Amino acid sequence: MGIMAQFMVWIDDRFPATKVWNEHLAQYYAPKNFNFWYYFGSLAMLVLVNQILTGIWLTMNYTPTGEGAFASVEFIMRDVEWGWLLRYMHGVGASAFFVVVYLHMFRGMLYGSFRKPRELVWIFGMIIFVLLMAEGFMGYLLPWGNMSYWGAQVIINLFSAIPVVGEDLAVWIRGDFIISGATLNRFFALHVVALPMALLLMIFLHIVALHKVGSNNPDGIDIKKNKDENGIPLDGIPFHPYYTVKDIVGVGVFLLIFCWIIFFSPEMGGYFFEAPNFTPADPLKTPDHIAPVWYFTPYYSILKAVPNQGLGVIAMAGSLFVLFFLPWLDKSPVLSIRYKSPIFKIALALFVVCFFVLGYLGMKSPNEMRTLVARICTIYYFAFFILMPWWSQWGTTKPVPTRVTH
Amino acid sequence: MKKLLKVLSALTMAGLSVSSFASEGGLVLPNDEMPNYSEHRLTMSMQSGMQIYMNNCMGCHSLKFQRYNRSAKDLQISDELMVNNLMFTGEKIGDLMTNNMPVAAAEKWFGTAPPDLSLIARSRSPHWLYNYLRGFYADENRPYGMNNSVFKDVGMPHALQALQGIQDKTEEVKGIENDIAYAHGDIASAREKIQNGDNSGELNKIISDAENLIHEKEVQLVELSKQGKFFTVVKEGELSVQDFDSAMVDLVNFLEYVGEPIKRERKGMGIYVLLFILFFTGVAYLLKKEYWKDVH
Repeated sequence: MGIMAQFMVWIDDRFPATKVWNEHLAQYYAPKNFNFWYYFGSLAMLVLVNQILTGIWLTMNYTPTGEGAFASVEFIMRDVEWGWLLRYMHGVGASAFFVVVYLHMFRGMLYGSFRKPRELVWIFGMIIFVLLMAEGFMGYLLPWGNMSYWGAQVIINLFSAIPVVGEDLAVWIRGDFIISGATLNRFFALHVVALPMALLLMIFLHIVALHKVGSNNPDGIDIKKNKDENGIPLDGIPFHPYYTVKDIVGVGVFLLIFCWIIFFSPEMGGYFFEAPNFTPADPLKTPDHIAPVWYFTPYYSILKAVPNQGLGVIAMAGSLFVLFFLPWLDKSPVLSIRYKSPIFKIALALFVVCFFVLGYLGMKSPNEMRTLVARICTIYYFAFFILMPWWSQWGTTKPVPTRVTH
Repeated sequence: MKKLLKVLSALTMAGLSVSSFASEGGLVLPNDEMPNYSEHRLTMSMQSGMQIYMNNCMGCHSLKFQRYNRSAKDLQISDELMVNNLMFTGEKIGDLMTNNMPVAAAEKWFGTAPPDLSLIARSRSPHWLYNYLRGFYADENRPYGMNNSVFKDVGMPHALQALQGIQDKTEEVKGIENDIAYAHGDIASAREKIQNGDNSGELNKIISDAENLIHEKEVQLVELSKQGKFFTVVKEGELSVQDFDSAMVDLVNFLEYVGEPIKRERKGMGIYVLLFILFFTGVAYLLKKEYWKDVH
């Protein structure tokens, strides 16, 4: 036995290294028909690592105080070697995180990846999504620009709409009667310690749950139903090396876009870095138009669409809450959009349209027409989910093949 | 599936193009496009802009996040030249570009303390700055006798008056603005009458007529500004109109540089980064193809 093999035996006697490697990579059999939509899980991991690493280095020069935060960010941009790159990678990375996570979630909706037996995979994923929103929201306060300040002000004020405890709750969250250095400090602590730990735990559980039940695929077929004499799925291939090498190609394409933005247009026309945020936070000067960053705007639109603020907050929370129940709302006999009825395709396409329209309207200052459109889209958003148990059974589905189409 | 993708990408593009954040309102001034300088010319422009800034702006507006020696290095000015010609109050070359403007007193003088301008080109955009700097005109209703066509009732006096001279709106523009003011008055009084329960049919017509008039007049204003007939110089400055415009291009280029000192360098770097990733992706693709040969 070679020295390396002996070493591995020594390790394996004390730690299940080979076992874990095999169970999760070398002998984890994934369907061989993954398509474009299946890149976004591994890309989310890539962006996560990017956020953590750049975040650590940003922390080394960032000052989490009301007096020093804005200046320390500019110090990073100008005086720290490659500090500008770290900051752009982190800031653009935040938006990229939401892009890949939204696409990852949409993949689930296309192919019914949340259906039995993957309910927990979906629920863990939803928890990750909510944590990610909290992470993004708190991170956005840290540069202490004027949009950071007023964006946080608007969102935290939402809590004061909750009856009875609202006002006290808002003060408790801020740690002050207005957004102040105290708020910045606690958001910093949550952003760099508490939430990342919670995120890592949930991502671990998300993957453990996934590897227990196995990956779904664009046909929505259970590949474990057709196994060879060794018990290996006929339509499965080992995740490593097949999907590791394939995902690296995805990483390359992703990095092309990601780096193009970082080096040539980091503000992305004001979507990733908003112009008012280059002015320091000023409690006495409200920006002309306060809008959250793009990834929050669909929900912000739902909030504004409801005439009563308290109910608006409930609607906004509800728009996320309802997603948790998706595994039990979809009652179609088939999983994948490929075999679902045209009704599903139309309903889903309309949902996507509504989601984009809501996102767009959330960036704009409201007027009569926009509010009306936002209301229609909000109603559709909820109807899509709440009525799904009925409409998902309508229409005729196509016959599902027994083996994956590749 | 493919169709869905197409629809999605079309929607995304539409969303992005419609909701441009660039809308700034205000007036378009004549020749408001800044020229695109070559790399070498741009450096010279920034140098000249820095000279204008240090001589005319720095007294009130600090650049407190930027260092002298960083500017010197990026703008290819030697440290010696910088110390001798552009630093006036005994700072060291590695210092931040601060000034000694007393904030409380400045608030009394101008109504608001002159802001630090390190990031002004990022929060306002170079285009806005270029128009703002050329937008000062005589207005006896303002404390310092000057107003600005881009930033109405701005507290800042016309600091570059010696260079530009004084410009005033032409008689034609003043006439049109009067008409607009009267039309707004008509709308306000008609609205008031409607609220008091007056005959609204006729009054609604007055409102819509006035609104049409305002729109028409505003189009005329834009037209005049495009023809360079918005302002007329009533007192000559040291520079001709063309020279002043070109000096303002320099100043704005300098402020754009200060807003993000790495900007030019990162773009140059970006090309090599993308080329490497392209190569990497190509290799990764070939590797993937090789491995996937046996998947049927």
